[in-house]
Amino acid sequence: MSRPTTGHVRRPAILRAAAEVIAERGVIGTRIADVAERAETSAPGVLYWFATKDELLTEALASADERFYEELSDELAQLEGARARLARIVDLWPAEGDGEVVLWMELWVRALRDPEVGAARERLDRRWRDAIAAIVRDGQAAGEFLPADPDDFALTLGALMDGFAIQLALHDPAVTPERVREHCMALVQERLGLEGVPDAI
Amino acid sequence: MSAQRTRERILDAAVERIASDGIDAVRIARIAMDARVSTALVHYHFATREALLAEALEHSFVTAGEVSDREGDPATRLRWMVESCLPLPGEQERDWVLWVELWLRAVRHPELRPTAARLYARMHDWFREAIEEGDFGPVDAGAIADRTLALIDGFGVRALLGDPAMPLERAREEVWHALAGDLGLRAGTSSS
Repeated sequence: MSRPTTGHVRRPAILRAAAEVIAERGVIGTRIADVAERAETSAPGVLYWFATKDELLTEALASADERFYEELSDELAQLEGARARLARIVDLWPAEGDGEVVLWMELWVRALRDPEVGAARERLDRRWRDAIAAIVRDGQAAGEFLPADPDDFALTLGALMDGFAIQLALHDPAVTPERVREHCMALVQERLGLEGVPDAI
Repeated sequence: MSAQRTRERILDAAVERIASDGIDAVRIARIAMDARVSTALVHYHFATREALLAEALEHSFVTAGEVSDREGDPATRLRWMVESCLPLPGEQERDWVLWVELWLRAVRHPELRPTAARLYARMHDWFREAIEEGDFGPVDAGAIADRTLALIDGFGVRALLGDPAMPLERAREEVWHALAGDLGLRAGTSSS
């Protein structure tokens, strides 16, 4: 049961490497040895922490999410008002880039046929919705938003963002980040906006 | 058997196999066996996995399109269109699995993107035209079609994956609620 002494350093490095390699080549096209090479460790060094490639995928996404939420909470703390915070979240999401979106797509495809991956996807998704709902609750407490159900709203905004993220990732010429942002903020105004409050940010 | 008929049999088998095994794991020999043709013939018709996936998707969309025009008032028709785009058990669920596989594959293989863009454009036009023909007043039919498709994908993928927060019934009501709101209808009614 002895653990490599540099293990605490290795695990995050492996996860970062896994996120890169899987985004580039997909779960199917990724070999454990590729991840090990990118992380400058050995294949047994990777397998010590992660038994399967699916585990690497779900943990890499969980870890990327962790970093994202840390940065997000720092950023959001500097913004005044719940609407501005939602606008920032909308801005950040597709800007995360193809790498992040493609990992989510890998997760969806793997979840189609593997209940464990499905459960991991559901956990990550719930956390994302909770982050949105928390901002809505703050906005409602401050009298900035209408009293719509925050969890329902988060579900709808999350679905809308994902739907558009797919089209952005596919480089659909009909969809631009600006249009996506407009659609998302229109939803904020439609479901949460108070009368007489302008919907422009 | 005509070449056209052979092709269709291969595509029928490919749709079923890709949905059950996944585009990465599916074996061409297995598709050939299901279609009762030789592996060489499958390779002859479809040079790459990407070509097979693209054609299988087009094929399943064409099959779905055969029943796409239904009578009824415009709101009823749109409501039915939403329903026909969600992962209902059976063929629609199977087509959805291909759809999700296409997203991922097309991000990695740019040669598949025109297929994805074409399928999206077709869905977009289908909704846009139904909205325009419905005479719902001064609405931006293109923008409403965009939003409806994004919600169908976002809710639909969660329903497909069995997310407890998004059962199919809820996905259907959420998309319709948003669309009905855009058209100035009350979501509870299916007629204007």
